[in-house]
Amino acid sequence: MTTESQFETVDMMLNMGPQHPATHGVFRMVLKVDGEKVIDVIPHIGYLHRGTERLAEVETYGQVITLFDRVDYIANLNNELAFVRAGEQIMEVEAPERAQYIRVILAELNRVASHLLFIGTYAIDLGAMTPVMYGFRERERIQNLFEHVTGARMMHNYMRIGGVKADVPDDFVPWVRQLIGEVRKGVEECDKLLSTNEVFLGRTRGVGVIDGPTAISCGLTGPSLRGSGVAYDVRKDDPYEIYPYLNYKVPVGENGDCWDRYYLRMLECYESLSMIEQCLDQFPEGPIMAAGRRIARPPAGEVFSHSENPRGDLGVYLVSDGTDKPYRVKIRPPSFCNLVGLATMTRGSYIADAVAILGSLDIVLGEVDR
Amino acid sequence: MAVEGNNDSQSSPRFVPQKWDREKGGHFFHTDEGGDVSLGKGNHPAPNRIPSAVPGVITGKLDDLIAMGRSNSLWTLTFGLACCAIEMISTHMAHHDFDRFGIVTWPSPRQADVMIIAGTVVKKMADPIRLLYEQMPDPKWVIAMGTCATSGGPYYKSYSVVMGVDHIIPVDIYVPGCPPRPEALMDAFMKLQSKIKSDAKNGQIDDLSGEQRIAPVAVADAAPVIDAVPAEVPAEETAG
Amino acid sequence: MTEQDPKAAAEAPKEAAAPAEKPARHGPPIVIAEEVLNERGEQTAAQLASTLGTLVLDSAGREDNPWVRVDAKELHAAAKKCRDGEIGMDMLNLMLAVDWVDRIQMIYVLYSTTNNRKVILKADLPAESPAIDSLTDLWEAATWYERETHDLFGVDFPGNSDMSPLLLYEGFEGHPGLKSYPLNDYEEW
Ligand code: SF4
Repeated sequence: MTTESQFETVDMMLNMGPQHPATHGVFRMVLKVDGEKVIDVIPHIGYLHRGTERLAEVETYGQVITLFDRVDYIANLNNELAFVRAGEQIMEVEAPERAQYIRVILAELNRVASHLLFIGTYAIDLGAMTPVMYGFRERERIQNLFEHVTGARMMHNYMRIGGVKADVPDDFVPWVRQLIGEVRKGVEECDKLLSTNEVFLGRTRGVGVIDGPTAISCGLTGPSLRGSGVAYDVRKDDPYEIYPYLNYKVPVGENGDCWDRYYLRMLECYESLSMIEQCLDQFPEGPIMAAGRRIARPPAGEVFSHSENPRGDLGVYLVSDGTDKPYRVKIRPPSFCNLVGLATMTRGSYIADAVAILGSLDIVLGEVDR
Repeated sequence: MAVEGNNDSQSSPRFVPQKWDREKGGHFFHTDEGGDVSLGKGNHPAPNRIPSAVPGVITGKLDDLIAMGRSNSLWTLTFGLACCAIEMISTHMAHHDFDRFGIVTWPSPRQADVMIIAGTVVKKMADPIRLLYEQMPDPKWVIAMGTCATSGGPYYKSYSVVMGVDHIIPVDIYVPGCPPRPEALMDAFMKLQSKIKSDAKNGQIDDLSGEQRIAPVAVADAAPVIDAVPAEVPAEETAG
Repeated sequence: MTEQDPKAAAEAPKEAAAPAEKPARHGPPIVIAEEVLNERGEQTAAQLASTLGTLVLDSAGREDNPWVRVDAKELHAAAKKCRDGEIGMDMLNLMLAVDWVDRIQMIYVLYSTTNNRKVILKADLPAESPAIDSLTDLWEAATWYERETHDLFGVDFPGNSDMSPLLLYEGFEGHPGLKSYPLNDYEEW
């Protein structure tokens, strides 16, 4: 009888990307495979390295906000918020309450929009074509509101150090209330369609498992970390803006598999929608911009501030030398750190699962490469 | 909104809808070439504009027919680079529904007609883009979507960004905007369709194929991406 | 630290006869921020000081982010103490390099998911051939951060087995994160 060991087997290298529909952009990974099993993954990034951090050093604080819009181009407002908060810390100003409410409402709406996009594209990765249509339909509604408020569909440049650019239009509150109702229905639709689907469960349950300590060591944050049972959410653990005044839960998973990571995002959509409703109930009147100089020229110093982006903990380390341009801006990109865990999750799974695992991390290449 | 590039031939006749004229009856359209075209009225079909030798038989150039077919089923390569890709996907999805123009995405360059460069082209990505372009069969068209693909856009000072994709491959249509709205992309496609048709009319179609289309730009300091692929991988697979 | 005015910099070579002086900076005088810790920050700082003991060269902080500066050779030891000690910094949240022209400063932001505190470690490296021990054996997250810093700043990390370019590509010359690396105006590429 011949046994397997008598045959010489050679590991095969399989290249995916940089142009591959399942890599969500220009991500490239080389899979080392033995038959259908993945032995190792070698990710290659940098196909969208635009030098944002270096460019930020030659632009004024106001201009850097536009660059941050483009860092994570799915959750633009969350990114603006992260930079603007770092700027406020270094300038030692605080945005007025109304501005904070506006920012939080918009940031949470953007979180929902981002998660909807994730749900849609993740379903496509796994072979379901419908949810992406539903997801984008709702996303389009949210973008319409953004356009109404900020003037742009994607690149808003709306937040400022010390407040926001302009007050919201008069019909903002009723519009958002109506929007929430519509979006909630859409999210429920996706939820019903996908979350209990046999095929979907089969493709995601128990796939790409990573345990809590490993996830922390890899630097995973956001839903990817919470899926592994670590309740780390910057909104709760290091509260900022008006988050302490809101009543919300942070969903936490158990198994650390793809399904947990997916379902957490689904639950977060509901939480975010209810948070926005609370914000609308408390929505105060007042100024939208802190008094003070319009041109930011902060004192020399360094600050580190972070906030919760749909993909995780987005940090900004800002070094100022006292001029009107930052001396150094360093972004802590959550997707970049989440990708470090990819190899650990994928080892030992099948090739088709590699796509499911990569999708469940919800990476945005603009942020990975900056 | 979209700007046509590489096209110095005359533009195709443009139809300007006119108010319905009770006197004349029927719906009339005014053309650039002068004269009105009737669309017919009620059960009476419009008189045929295409000269016909035998009643019921339409004659025309085969080129026109092929161009009509080509322009109405443009398959784009599923290929997003950066932020603009999100707006490109939006255009394909429920609300804007690109399918109604016959435009569907296809993940492989071997069957694609159009490549939308949706996003920033960085030097590391320059070689793969060129490779993808060369893998596409003729005739092929390129749309540079957004200021990044057109000229470097907000990153024009950056050390790693290519100042416009036209430094690597020839571009047919440029779409301004950061990101362009879905409507702008649709407009670009309509421009492309009319370009395909008018090129066929003016016998430009031959110039579109072959080596001339590849700009003689040396990609000297671009990333040697293909070399980085392990030797076991055949070159074709690099495109995914 | 002061930003050079581009005009003044361009004119400087012409007046070669005068001894090289730093061109005067236009604009209002530079204010240096006061570093004040809040109550929570004080607690963390005290805990950190007791964890690191004599390793600390220098310390301060702002809000609730205390920082300590340690010797570059001791950084690995200090990070290990932070991770395994009572302070329990189990996540390497962020790692960056700042180019101060005369030196390169490495900054590590550590986070504790158990008691939600963060501390910042700093270490100064010489501007010429900077190198610092790798932290990959403590946190896996360090692998990519270190490769990135190597790409952009040319810092070497003995101990990290894979130092191939991450964001840039093979054959890229120079370290674009450094202040001396020129940013182009429009370049015909
Ligand atoms: S043009 Fe604007 S939106 Fe498009 S890729 Fe460039 S930065 Fe992003």
